[in-house]
Amino acid sequence: MMQAVVSRLFGSLVAVFGASIIAFLFLRVLPGNPARLVVGPLASEEALQAQMERMGLHLSLPDQYWRYITGFLQGDWGFSYGAGQPVLVQFANRLPASIELGFYAFLFAFLAAVVLGLAATYRRRPAVDAAVRALSVFGMGMPPFWLALILLVVFHEALGIFPGPGLQLSRSIEPPPVVTGFITFDALIAGDLTAFADAIHYLFLPAVALGMLPFGYLVRLLRANLLDVTNEPFILVVRSKGIGLWKTFSRHALPNAFIPTLTASGMIFAQLLGGSVLVEKVFNWPGIGSLVVDSILRKDFAVVQAFIIVSAVIYVFVNAIVDVLYGIIDPRIRN
Amino acid sequence: MRAGNLRAFAKILRANLDLTASLLILLILAILAVFGPFLWPYDPLAISLRETLQPPSLAHPMGTDHIGRDIFARFNEGALISLSVGVAVVITGAVVGGMIGLVSGISGGLLDNALMRLMDAILAFPPLILAMAVTVGLGGGLETAAFGIMLTSVPYYARLIRSDVIRIRQLPFVEAAETAGAGPARIILRHIVPHTVSTLLIQAAALFGYSVLALAALGFVGLGTQVPTPEWGVMITEGLQYALTGQWWIGVFPGFGLLAAVAATSILADKVRDLVDPRGQYAQL
Repeated sequence: MMQAVVSRLFGSLVAVFGASIIAFLFLRVLPGNPARLVVGPLASEEALQAQMERMGLHLSLPDQYWRYITGFLQGDWGFSYGAGQPVLVQFANRLPASIELGFYAFLFAFLAAVVLGLAATYRRRPAVDAAVRALSVFGMGMPPFWLALILLVVFHEALGIFPGPGLQLSRSIEPPPVVTGFITFDALIAGDLTAFADAIHYLFLPAVALGMLPFGYLVRLLRANLLDVTNEPFILVVRSKGIGLWKTFSRHALPNAFIPTLTASGMIFAQLLGGSVLVEKVFNWPGIGSLVVDSILRKDFAVVQAFIIVSAVIYVFVNAIVDVLYGIIDPRIRN
Repeated sequence: MRAGNLRAFAKILRANLDLTASLLILLILAILAVFGPFLWPYDPLAISLRETLQPPSLAHPMGTDHIGRDIFARFNEGALISLSVGVAVVITGAVVGGMIGLVSGISGGLLDNALMRLMDAILAFPPLILAMAVTVGLGGGLETAAFGIMLTSVPYYARLIRSDVIRIRQLPFVEAAETAGAGPARIILRHIVPHTVSTLLIQAAALFGYSVLALAALGFVGLGTQVPTPEWGVMITEGLQYALTGQWWIGVFPGFGLLAAVAATSILADKVRDLVDPRGQYAQL
């Protein structure tokens, strides 16, 4: 078991390095001189050369990569000329809000998928099943930024139940002391339930908008797997032993149907970070997504490069964790 | 199509109402896209300052926007852009990805390994960010946006076709063709490629939705099509600033167009897979 985990983690590291190389090469291949963007179109050739030397662009590609990646590991993620800030500082300011939003979006998607997946298969009611299937198709077909707009129109503008875009916490509420950077967790650590409830209030609409697509995907997967599993002979055996329907589902069908859902969950959780880009824009959420979009539009590629490496790291390690979780859920693949 | 085939088709349609409904939705969207400009009197770009921000009515079924353009006319034009770009992206992506998968699956060894690692690396990127970066890097606009989206979709075809090719290569009929003296080119073109077509088509239908949504997303952040072209994503962006002041219709209708197009193709893809797959019933959604 331990050996499997170690070799899996090593493979993950190799994949992250591969992604960093591709990201590096890719952004160098794109037309346009990054130094020219910094000095401006009117600067002299000498100024351009000097800036290229300062940015290391006169070196060979392998040397440039080596410089970049050793710097990256030492905490030098480059300088964002668009924002006039080191990239690491920007990420430290912005990443927590995105991870928090992604976490709650995932929580919504996962819980809703389990509840509705069970509802669709539990008593085999065709009407419930059809409704869940329709919800899943809609969830996967909706552009998240459009859903965000609809949610704002209905729940903020028309009904006034949820707050509008722009804030993470009401102005009247004292923000909890920063420990983790995640407002809801910090509020819980400080024991401040009012701040926690208020932060959830602000998180709800963006989390639903962001979680709808993964929800559609997960519920579809879980429903199909639950149907497969519940048709297998061992479920009949369990039932004929006199075990109740609920216990059959919770103890036997659900764990068996869970493996593919778990794989998908890992990938989805890792992708939420990149996917939050558009929802963040609609809700003015101060996260990494809006930063990356602005950086792309400004051709501020230091930020984009760092984002690609960070999301590759998250993607690869979340999937490694999922692989380890398999062993815990399914004894057959423990070795 | 012969009469017998037609009857069989009608029977399938009657038995699968969701398939019929999704075909109908796509047909309606296609008709609006192609014939809308001829049948509907308003021009998608015509500004009418006396009719700004009108709610939906009989004259303007989807209302008008902030400079009085008829949203229904823009919706139809948007359908044309989304559907045609979606189709173009899916076809080029399927051809490129299919070729890579075919080469990879047949050659094996070092070339296979190199191609698949490249595909893995592309998959490790957040797809939307990659598409955006490519679009910006190549200068923006509808064509580069389509190219960026196509690039991010290639690995999905390549991996699937590769595994399909490896599976088919080992089937007895390929061995039989070899024994009968067929050369490699003949085996690949006449025996392997035709058997990957159904997989490729189903994957293409599934990725059509992704392409349409990604194009709208690029339009939404200001890449891809530019104002005033009525692309659905751009229209949603325009609607965003009016959503909180009560003019919901500007951004809401184009989203329904996207939802209808994507949901219909995804149902279509699943249904066709069920009908083609002899084991049937797989993930019947």
